[in-house]
Amino acid sequence: MGVHATGTEPAAPKARRRGGGIGAIRRSVPLYIMFVPGVVFYLLFKYYPLGGLVIAFKDYNMYDGILKSPWVGLDNFRMLFNQAQTVQIIGNTLLLSVLGIAIGFPVPILLAVMLNEVRRTWFKRFVQTLVYLPHFFSWVIVSGIVLEMFSQESGIINHWVAGVFGEPYPFLYKPLSWLAVFIGSGVWKEMGFSAIIYLAALTAIDPHLYESASIDGASKWKQIRHVSIPGIMPTIALLLILQVGKVMDVGFDPVYMLSNESVSSVANVISTYNYSVGIQRAQFSLTTAMGLFENAVGFVLVTFANRIGRRFNQQLW
Amino acid sequence: MKSTFGDKLFYAFNYAVLTLIGLSCLFPLLHIVALSLSEAHAVDSGRVSVVPVGWATASYKALFDNTRILPAFWNSLEITVVGTALSMAATVLTAYPLSRAFFYGRRPLTLAMVFTMLFGSGLIPNYLVMSQYGLINSYWVLWLPALINTFNVLVMRTFFEGIPGEIEEAARIDGCGEWTHLFRVVLPLSLPVLATITLFNAVGFWNAFMNVLIYINETRKYNLTVLVQQMIRRDSILAGVMSADPGDIANVTNEGIKAAGIMVMIVPMLLIYPFLQKYFVKGVMLGAVKG
Repeated sequence: MGVHATGTEPAAPKARRRGGGIGAIRRSVPLYIMFVPGVVFYLLFKYYPLGGLVIAFKDYNMYDGILKSPWVGLDNFRMLFNQAQTVQIIGNTLLLSVLGIAIGFPVPILLAVMLNEVRRTWFKRFVQTLVYLPHFFSWVIVSGIVLEMFSQESGIINHWVAGVFGEPYPFLYKPLSWLAVFIGSGVWKEMGFSAIIYLAALTAIDPHLYESASIDGASKWKQIRHVSIPGIMPTIALLLILQVGKVMDVGFDPVYMLSNESVSSVANVISTYNYSVGIQRAQFSLTTAMGLFENAVGFVLVTFANRIGRRFNQQLW
Repeated sequence: MKSTFGDKLFYAFNYAVLTLIGLSCLFPLLHIVALSLSEAHAVDSGRVSVVPVGWATASYKALFDNTRILPAFWNSLEITVVGTALSMAATVLTAYPLSRAFFYGRRPLTLAMVFTMLFGSGLIPNYLVMSQYGLINSYWVLWLPALINTFNVLVMRTFFEGIPGEIEEAARIDGCGEWTHLFRVVLPLSLPVLATITLFNAVGFWNAFMNVLIYINETRKYNLTVLVQQMIRRDSILAGVMSADPGDIANVTNEGIKAAGIMVMIVPMLLIYPFLQKYFVKGVMLGAVKG
C-alpha cells in the first residue's frame, strides 16, 4: 500500500524534555494496559505461527502435531528441489512478477505525467475518478469482468475478433495470450492508484522550473524530460526498490481466479502450488518448505532493497 | 506565452490518450451492466456492448431466487462491520502508546512489529495454528489474524505524533490521564487518519477472499467474493440453479447471471467510492509523510 516509508525512528526531542525515571514508568502504566491486546495479538498470530515453520524440517502428521512429528532434516527441501515442477513453479513466479514490474511499473509514471499536464480540472478529475476505481474492486470483480469479456463462446472481444478474422481466438487458453491478459488486468486494476504517489511528487516540483524552461524555449516534451521526470526520480527510485523487494510475492487471488488447466505451464506459481498441494492435498511439510524458501528469499531481497534505499536516503527502516 | 505547434500536438495527444485510458476503465463496467440487463439471445450471441439489448431483469431474478447471494451479502456485511470495528479498536490502542515519547520500550516493540512485516510464517503454518486454535469455520479466523496491520499502526502513530505538543501540555495541566487524553484530545483531532484506516480495513474485509476460501468450509457461511467467484468459474450455473422453474431457462444465460453476480459486488463499492476517493488519496500520502 503506497510508500511504506514510515520511519521507525521515534521523535526524540519530546523524550529529552520530559526525562525518564520512575515517574515516566508510573505514567506509562495506562499505556502498557492499552498495549496488552497488541502484545497478545503479535504473540498469538504473528510470532507463534513462525514456530510452525519447523515442520519444514519435519515429517508432519496430524496425529503427532507440530511438536512431536519426527525430524527429517533437509529431506523436504531435497524432495522439493528434486521435482522438475518446483523449478518451473519458481520460474513462473519470477516470470509473472518480473513481467508485471516491467510493464506495470512505467505505466503509472506515464499516467501521472500525462495527468499532470492536463489544465482542465474537470477532465483531470473525471479521468482520475475512472482510473482509481478498479483498485478498490476485489480480484473477483476484475477476474469476472475479464473472463466475461474474453470468453471464447460469448465474450465481446471474441465477438469482435470473429467479426474481423472470421473465428474467435482462445485468449485464456494459450500461454502467451493468457500472460498478456493476466499482466494487462493487473496493470488495469492498479495503474490509476499507483499514479497517485507520482502525481503528488509532481505537484511538489517548483513551478518556476517550468516557467524558466518555457522562457528558454523548451517544448512540452523537453519540459517533461528535463523537469518533470528528474523531479520525481527519487520517488521512482524508491518505488522501484520496493517492487524489487516483493519480486517473489505473486498474489494468490489473480492467478487462482484467472488461470486454468491449459495454461498451467506458465500459471503455476508458488502461492497457487502451496494452496493446491498444501491445503487441498495436505502435503503440509513439503509446502511449508516451499513457503519458507519463498519467505527467506523475500526477506533477503527486502533487506537488500532497504540497503540500496539507504544510499538514497530513502530507507524503510 | 504562446504555445507552439509542437505543444498543441502534445496536448492533443495527451487528451486523446487519457480519454482512451478513462474509457478503458468505463467500458468494462458499462459492459457488465449491459450484460446483466440484456435479453438472453443477445447475451449468448455476444452482441451486447455497453447498452442493454432489450431490457430483462431475469438474470437478477434468477440470481436472487436461486442462489445464496443474499445470505452471502449479509455475511460479507457482517465480516466487514465486525472486523473493521475490532481492528480499529486494536489499532488505536496499539498506535497510541507508541506515539508517546515517554513510553518505555517503544523502539524495540516497534522493531518487533516491523519484523513481522518482513518475515511471515506463510500459508501452511498459519493454517495449522488456526486449526489448533479451533477457529476453522468461524468468522473469528478472518477477524483475529487481521486485527492489527503493522503498516496502519505506523501510519496512525506518525499522525498522533504530529499533534501539537501545546494541546497536550494544556490537557496535562487540566489533570488529564492517558485514557482521557486519547479519547478526548487525540482521537477527535485524528478524524482524517481514522477515516482513512477505517476505509482501508473495511475494503480489506469486504474483499476478503483467500482466507474465506481456506478457512470457511460451510457453504452457508460463504461471503460474496467466494460465492460469486465459484459462480464465475462454473460453466453451467443454469443446470443447478434453474431446476425450479424450467420456463425461465429460455430467458436467462450463464453469462447474464454471472454479470448480475458481479454487479452485486460492484454496486456497494460504487456507493462508498466518493468517500474512498476522498480519503484513500490522502491515505497514500499519509504513509509517505516521513519518507
